[in-house]
Amino acid sequence: MTTAIALEGVGKRYWKFEEQAMLMRSLLPSARPRRSELWALRDVSFSVEQGETVGILGRNGSGKTTLLRLLAGVTRPSEGRVRVVGTVAPLISVGVGFRREMSGRENVYLNGMILGLTKTEIEARLDDIVSFAELGDFIDTPVKFYSSGMFLRLGFSVAVHTDPEVLLIDEVLAVGDVAFRAKCVERMRLIQESGTAIVLVSHSLDAVRGLCRRALLLRRGVLDFDGETEGAIDRYHEQLSAEPGESEETARTERRHVFVGGATILDRALVGPDGPAHYLDRDAPVEFRARVRFEQPTADPVFGFQILSEEGSVAYGCHTEVGLHHRSFAAGEEADVRIRFVPRLAGGSYRAMCSVVSANGRGLLADDHRGVVFFVDRRPGVYGAADLGGSLTVDGIELIATLDGDRPCA
Amino acid sequence: MSTRSTVVELTPGAESRRSLVGDLWRHRDVLAMLARTDFQVRYKRATLGVLWAVVVPLVQAAVLAAVFSRVLRLASSQDYAVFVLSGVLPWTYFATSATAGATAVVDGAEITEKVWFPRAMLPIVPALANFAGFAVALVLMVAIMPIFGVVPDQNLLWLVPACGLLVAFTAAFSLVAAALHVYFRDVRYLVQAGLLVWFYATPVIYPLRLARGLKPLLEANPMTGILGLFRAATSGAEPHWLLDAAIALAWTLALLVIAVEVYRRRDRVLVDLL
Repeated sequence: MTTAIALEGVGKRYWKFEEQAMLMRSLLPSARPRRSELWALRDVSFSVEQGETVGILGRNGSGKTTLLRLLAGVTRPSEGRVRVVGTVAPLISVGVGFRREMSGRENVYLNGMILGLTKTEIEARLDDIVSFAELGDFIDTPVKFYSSGMFLRLGFSVAVHTDPEVLLIDEVLAVGDVAFRAKCVERMRLIQESGTAIVLVSHSLDAVRGLCRRALLLRRGVLDFDGETEGAIDRYHEQLSAEPGESEETARTERRHVFVGGATILDRALVGPDGPAHYLDRDAPVEFRARVRFEQPTADPVFGFQILSEEGSVAYGCHTEVGLHHRSFAAGEEADVRIRFVPRLAGGSYRAMCSVVSANGRGLLADDHRGVVFFVDRRPGVYGAADLGGSLTVDGIELIATLDGDRPCA
Repeated sequence: MSTRSTVVELTPGAESRRSLVGDLWRHRDVLAMLARTDFQVRYKRATLGVLWAVVVPLVQAAVLAAVFSRVLRLASSQDYAVFVLSGVLPWTYFATSATAGATAVVDGAEITEKVWFPRAMLPIVPALANFAGFAVALVLMVAIMPIFGVVPDQNLLWLVPACGLLVAFTAAFSLVAAALHVYFRDVRYLVQAGLLVWFYATPVIYPLRLARGLKPLLEANPMTGILGLFRAATSGAEPHWLLDAAIALAWTLALLVIAVEVYRRRDRVLVDLL
């Protein structure tokens, strides 16, 4: 086998300017803007053979996107060497490189040419590209009128129809609808067999598990693990529980409230029937416990609870009613908050956290970025936010097993 | 598939001049496609469509010709109309293309952030796209010249090097400005303001001989030599027009050398600053 991608000691440094560099300032040596360096990647070495599919795992900010940008040739490493053999079709986030004013058809030509096809080659594939993308007559509409799904489908379709020798995929599988996602996975299997090297970046551990035998785990720009996918996923879980961070979604949901402070969340824990729990059984109730200390007198606070999935979306949330008069807390007083729930989640790693909001529902008194990380196993064939315990039978033969203890329907 | 196979090797530092040129050549289809769509997108949703590319500079030239020959009575001869047209058309082409070209790398971020092709193509796109409209306007101008008493002769052939130099200078100027604009976003406004001054510092609406004491300064201006070529082909040559054209050529080559050096060092770094 030949090597398609080889990285040797690759690092990528970005300069962070404290102020935007401006013309006048740079002309005056004394007023040069201060800058600090930030290594998005450091000392990364690995190689990918032709026909191999490698998943890349890591949290937001771990350097996954920088790595893809280097592989796509969009940016140059600050140290080390990146070597990519063959034509590269990148799918860095949604859409390859679309011009919004141009029609779908024109974008197909433009991107096809950028990806190395000739005009006649594109003409020959145009019908396939359009039908795979399920665009129909929309192909002549400017892409700025496309829905995000159409955008994504066209981007994926163009990329896979250019017979790339290296295919880079970033998160696209997380966006499309189920039917299209299945089609993409099927198509990627075909591409795998044709000898194309695929690098897949995804938050969806299922996608990585399903398509890649090997996975890399990045942690703060450094290669933390390189090997069997299951090993990488275990290591990723360890990372998540050791240092849970703020996900983008939490930041967004909490921005609805103005942070005012005035309360602190102390020892939080997830407790199961046999004590503190991290690996949860889908059917066994567990309790999230936290102590909230009020620094100042507070009347009728609202208590909230949330479970976030690995992608950062809210898998479940509940809170006490806004305006409900229940009790007042004196300064220095503590509240014992407990949320008992049954983790009927689809599976994966999750984060449970609580928050305290003022009586009018506007001011955020205390939040909990860290929360408690826990894991729920997946049932084969089940996806979505929740596991409703569905069973699937064909002619009476059960193909997806039901959860225990349910009664037959009439 | 194997014919398209390439090996991309990226290390810190600059690309060789040869591979920069090679990259540009391999992506020439992309450049043509970008220029074509740039042209179409601009006029697609206007009723008169592509005609606007011709009408706008013609209206501008007509207004200037009317103002300066009738109202201000600066010029009296009938061929002043042709004189103004032969200056305003190339100037408008240059000003519009350079304004768009100077911001092209930043404005093109939506495509360059995801997939690589030589960034140096983006600033050249407006220079190529606007040329179509300019060429049509030029042909129209030559066609109506006899109405103003200027009969085209074999000097018209000078239009070929004139157009070549105009496009090359516009592209070279845009390349350098666009790279600077990535670092300093003031460049967008500097170019806009600079073009206003530049317009009057170039013999677009007045003949070079009226400049008197400022003449050496005006002759150092590359646009003077380029317009001189257009005039030599149409309304009649100014003195020293070949020298002025040589100065313009020197400017163009100097800017192109700077552009090559900038893009072979910075092409894959510019994107980090967008």
